[in-house]
Order: sequence, then structure tokens, then C-alpha cells
Amino acid sequence: MTKHIIEVQHLKKHFGKNEVLKDISFTVKPSEKVVIIGPSGSGKSTLLRCLNRLEDDYDGRVIFYDQNICQAKTTDLRLIRQRMGMVFQQFNLFPNKTVLENITFAPIKLKVMTADQATQKAHELLKQVGLDDKAAAYPQSLSGGQQQRVAIARSLAMNPKVLLFDEPTSALDPEMVGDVLGVMQRLATNGMTMIIVTHEMMFAKKVADKVLFMDKGVVADEGTADYIFNQTSNPRTKEFLSKVMLSS
Amino acid sequence: MFAFLHHYYPVFVQGTAQTILISFIGILIGIGLGLCFVSLRRSKYRLFQYIARLYIAIVRGTPSMIQVMLIYYGLSKMIDIPQIQFLGSGLDRLIPGSIALGINSGAYTAEIFRSGLISIPRGQTEAGLSLGLSNRTTLYGIVMPQAVRNVLPALGNEFITLIKESSVLFYIGVQEVTAQALGVGGTLYNFIPPLLVAAVIYFVLTQLMSLLVSLMEKRLGNAYLKVPE
Repeated sequence: MTKHIIEVQHLKKHFGKNEVLKDISFTVKPSEKVVIIGPSGSGKSTLLRCLNRLEDDYDGRVIFYDQNICQAKTTDLRLIRQRMGMVFQQFNLFPNKTVLENITFAPIKLKVMTADQATQKAHELLKQVGLDDKAAAYPQSLSGGQQQRVAIARSLAMNPKVLLFDEPTSALDPEMVGDVLGVMQRLATNGMTMIIVTHEMMFAKKVADKVLFMDKGVVADEGTADYIFNQTSNPRTKEFLSKVMLSS
Repeated sequence: MFAFLHHYYPVFVQGTAQTILISFIGILIGIGLGLCFVSLRRSKYRLFQYIARLYIAIVRGTPSMIQVMLIYYGLSKMIDIPQIQFLGSGLDRLIPGSIALGINSGAYTAEIFRSGLISIPRGQTEAGLSLGLSNRTTLYGIVMPQAVRNVLPALGNEFITLIKESSVLFYIGVQEVTAQALGVGGTLYNFIPPLLVAAVIYFVLTQLMSLLVSLMEKRLGNAYLKVPE
């Protein structure tokens, strides 16, 4: 056993001539909450998507429990992804399936649970996110905040070791943000390992064990929440924080 | 005017049965080929893409009458299908005819499926993959059902076209409705009444098809497309 769940080593990614990630390295320990902040276009989402290889063809290494994700075969990659949940900005719930089916689809298809077990688990998860009464509803009848909480429940159904959050509250109406952050806060308290790309600075401050400040494809600054938000002398970090803190 | 029906109705019944039979087989083959070729068209291998494009281009760019005849004469040269009579036509004509209809329809169906797949946001695929599902499960379990729902109206249109187009099998001697109507017209020395009867039969068949498609639309989608409040 390594002491790190994820190790990112010298990750580089480019789209055509556009270099989006330039030599990124960091590690994630069990139950650690890593928050990635930075201006838009700095490569935060791309970095996150490289971790479960939704973005492919990059240089460098991503190690997940001693396994090199970059070179994993398709079948291994699927097993890795089962242990690495992802929550998207646009929720991406399956609109033709009910809330319950959204959650049970993968565990049943992948035969990690029987239909009964998956259903029971789904109800438990829905209770956790406060939406058990919506089990039979279709996603389109839910608010954005409710959809995102279902999406979190869906990713939890596979019992992942890590959850990746790609700007989970950016597509929400302001009054919905709190509910989703509340669910994430509870997950954090319960010891889930999380990597979160977000613009919610107050949340980052409260939850993060480690904050990565990304700018123009590099980790420009890195440290504890207290360091990044109160002590850093990095001018880019300070400038970015002063801008986003003003607006919130 | 339609007194001849009293005598000739069994001919029309037989012709209708054949039209239904060849259309049904044609639609089935068309859906199968459509699924195959849409996969080829979306494959990451250039050669497969090229094969699919070529197939679609040829089928769309040539008259179905010529396609039917080429397949009929081509097949009858290559293999020996027994001339067993079925509903008034030989299997040696019915089988190549239905295959030809399916090959023709497959090209259009492939393009319809492709437009459906394009209409589904990339996030659906990513959500499936991120849960650890295979490409295949994600495509057939998540994306395809939504895509099919979106293209049902276009598919219905294609099926209706196919029912009407099946009349080209007349050229290779399949005794479907049009062929029967022309035959009856020849004996009566008057083509208008039997052709009107054939037209009504096609109309009824296509109406039934569109009814079937709208029922499927209701079943497949209304629940999730309906937004309460």
C-alpha cells in the first residue's frame, strides 16, 4: 500500500498547439480534500478529466493505487473508473431513466450488486442527499440542485475511493448552491477522498486540506487553505483571490 | 366502377399480404444494416468510415429500381433460390426483393441513427464511462435509447417511404399490390379503378404505420420529456 491514493507526475496535455497542462504534479492522500482553484482556461477541468482519462493522450503519469492510469488497458480502466466517481458541472443525469434507475443502472449492469441490493443502496443514498421522495421522478422534473444531488448519489453508488467534482455548483441557481455544498461537506466530514474544482472560495476555505492554485496550465501556488487564503505571497494567487472574493 | 372487386378481391388481399411481408422484412434488414453502418461510420478507423460513406453514397445516389434489379439478377446468378411459390410469387423473387429493399433502407436508417446520436450531449457518454461502464453499454444502454426516441419521427417517415417504395419490386415480378393492380387493370382494359384500389391500400397501410410510430413515441418518451409544474 502506498500512502497516496493518487499521484500525478509531470502531467502534460495539449489540444493541437494549445498547451493546456504544463508539467503538473501533486499527490492525494486517503480522505484528503484537494481543492483546485484558478481562473477559467487555466486547465482545472482538463486536469480533473485526465485523472479518470475522459481526456486521453497526455504525457506524464497518473498513479491510482499503484496502477498507472495512462497505460491501463480498457478493462482495467473501467475498474479504475468504478472506484473513481465523477460529478459534472452539467449533472449529466440520464433523462430517460428515473432518479432511482439513474443510481442503480451502473451497479446492476456491472454486476457489483443485485437489483435488490442496488435499489436498497440507492434509497439509502437518496436519503443521505435528502431526496428519497424523488426516487420515481424523472430528472427533468427536478431543480438543478436536486439533479446535482442525485448525480452525487449516483457516483456514490459504486462505492468509489475518490470523488472528482468538476465545478459542481457552477451551473446552479444561487439559492441551490447551498444544498449541494451541504451534501459535499457531509461527505468530506465522513472521510471521503475528494478532488474538487470549484469557484466557491468559502467552501474551499472550509473543506480543503490542500489547495492548488492553477494558472495558465501550471500549479502556480499550492498549500493548506490557511496558507493560500491568508499567508501566500504569490502575486498571481493574491490577484485572483481578490477578484473572486470581491464578487462573492 | 368497383364491381370488379367482387371477383378480384382475393388478388388484392394476396398482393397486400405480400406488400406487408416485403416491407416488414425490408424494415428489419434496414434497421440491422442501419445499426451496423452507423457503427462503421462512427468508428475511429478511417477504412470503416469510408466503407460506410461509400455504401450510403451509392444507395442514395442511384435509383432504387436499378438497385432492385441489379440485386435480383446478381443474386440469381450467384445462388440458386428454389422457385417455391409463396402468396403468388416465387421465393427466388421475394427473397432478393426484400433484401434489396433492406439494403436501400439501411443507408437512410444509418443516417437517421447518426443524426440521433449526434443529438445526444457528450456528457451522457462521459457520465456512463465515468461510472466504469464499457463503451458498448454506454452506447446501447444510455445513448441509443435516447437517440432512438429523438429520431422516431424520422424513422417513421423512412418506414412509410419503404412501404410505398416496395412497389418497385413489381419490376422483378413480385406480385405485390401494385403488380396485382396492374394485372387486374390489364384484364379489365381499364387501369384506373384497380390503381385507385391499390392507392387506398397503400394509404391505409401507411396510416397504420404512422399510428404505430406515434404510439411508440408516446411509450418511449413522454414520461421523461414531460416537465411538471
